[in-house]
Amino acid sequence: MAEMTPRKRALLCVTGNKRRADRISCMDTLTTCTVDQMNAVKAPFPEANRDPELAFKLAAAAWEVIGLEGFKLPFDLCVEAEALGCKINWGRIDRHPSVETHVFNDLKDLKIPDDIVERGRFPLKHDVELRLRKEYGDYLPIVNQVTGPFTVAGHIFGIEKFCIWTKKRPLADVREALMQISEMNIADCKKALKSGTDVVCIADPSATSDILSPTFFKEAMLPVYQNMAKKIGAPIVLHICGNTSSYLPFIADSGFDAFSVDAQVDPGFAKAIVGDKIAIVGGVPTITALLFGTPQKVKEAAIDAIKKGVDVLMPSCGIPPRTPTENFKAMVDVARCMVYV
Amino acid sequence: MATKEEIVNGFMKAIVDGDEEASAKWAKEAVAAGLDAYEMVTKHGGDAMTIVNQKYEKKEYFVPEVLCAANALNAGVDILSPHMKADKTSVPATVVLAVVEGDIHDIGKNLVKIMLSAAGFRVIDMGKDVPSAALVEKIKETKADVVGMSALMSTTMPRMKNVIDMLKDQGIRGKVKVIVGGGPVTKDWALSIGADDRPHDASAAVGATKGLVEKLRAERGETW
Repeated sequence: MAEMTPRKRALLCVTGNKRRADRISCMDTLTTCTVDQMNAVKAPFPEANRDPELAFKLAAAAWEVIGLEGFKLPFDLCVEAEALGCKINWGRIDRHPSVETHVFNDLKDLKIPDDIVERGRFPLKHDVELRLRKEYGDYLPIVNQVTGPFTVAGHIFGIEKFCIWTKKRPLADVREALMQISEMNIADCKKALKSGTDVVCIADPSATSDILSPTFFKEAMLPVYQNMAKKIGAPIVLHICGNTSSYLPFIADSGFDAFSVDAQVDPGFAKAIVGDKIAIVGGVPTITALLFGTPQKVKEAAIDAIKKGVDVLMPSCGIPPRTPTENFKAMVDVARCMVYV
Repeated sequence: MATKEEIVNGFMKAIVDGDEEASAKWAKEAVAAGLDAYEMVTKHGGDAMTIVNQKYEKKEYFVPEVLCAANALNAGVDILSPHMKADKTSVPATVVLAVVEGDIHDIGKNLVKIMLSAAGFRVIDMGKDVPSAALVEKIKETKADVVGMSALMSTTMPRMKNVIDMLKDQGIRGKVKVIVGGGPVTKDWALSIGADDRPHDASAAVGATKGLVEKLRAERGETW
């Protein structure tokens, strides 16, 4: 058997073929940056979000400092909104950038330039991905993260306004806007795949069932996600924050390879609902275990997640910046000693 | 001319349906018929929002429906408020609300604000992305009875602990009750960082706030 590199292992696990790998992958497709890593490689927020050299160092820190088995870019969820003209609050070392202003007043104002992936920080992201591929060869997987259509809609229109439109406007118009945004995501991924990335992570935190009904999810989000699954042409992980239990039957039909469940969803429950239609990744609670727990608590949570059948062992959501390195590493340690026989 | 019952029912239905125009129409009818504007807002508007929240709890309604209802209530309040004679029988408790620093997700906090205002609380809304120190200053300045903090991101919810620790350090934790909320915030975690309660949604926040204010006033030897 050829050597099982972290890249091969990740690609098997994330597509639901973990039993063909030697052990579970510990690639993290969500936000991986912590203050400890920023200090260790001298690439702090907010500068690392805009400087290609620092972005390269911080992306590499996921592997170099923590041992996570993959790289992920970008570090924030504002690339799309910024390229479309939103003002960004750049935050600080322990605070992620956030969107400050919206750019479109109405659904009909939505206009995405044809060259959108050449604007804002898209080129920086693709350049750093290319450099990671050059410097690390094929050993580790590279994840291109995109901000999902519903979350981008919230950024560019304002989330409350967009929520109200889901009730007051024709569903077809709302879906069309989301579809247009998804085409921007697709163009971004096509470009990223040319830069050597292997996996796409669609982070759509706002599309949570704490906000949206399962009916809206099925009728508006699902067709948009299916469009992305059909066109992107690489393994895709979807992440939605919060309690997504009521979405699981639909997510199973999205055409995506994996779904990343937040801490409110029991991975065993998710596996039971989706069966082998889609892999379930995540399982290590970010707040109770990784941020405020101990290495021992993280190990217990990781073992529990593996027992429940997660396909990639990773944090349940983006890592809180103040997470201690010893806790983060404890998760990786568990993945490393798990062997499939 | 519509009867009082028709006006009240029409107003409540308009709110539950999230129909701003109908809500404004019935509010105007209420004014024309000389109904008590204060009662229209706090009692009937509040009752309608309770129905909305029951539907939310039953997963019949989701955030978009609740936002539409809140907008409809506001459309009615805009018309009724110039005609309101404030209830002078009790001193309203003061609640300071904020979304913690680094977090810009304020839907939940806005819903809580609407519900608490409709229930008669004096609500001071600091908005979103509020630095911990600024929030603590505002609590002191307004002698707030309750502070409500919200976070939708697991990356920002640790700030809640930060605020509670600051209240302890400054010796004022006993003077103010703390409620927290937001998607990733569990009750266990809320209690573990020293919060008093974690109501599970905006309507539960009203009951929780009332309970905490009663407790606080009893601790202070006051009556509610």
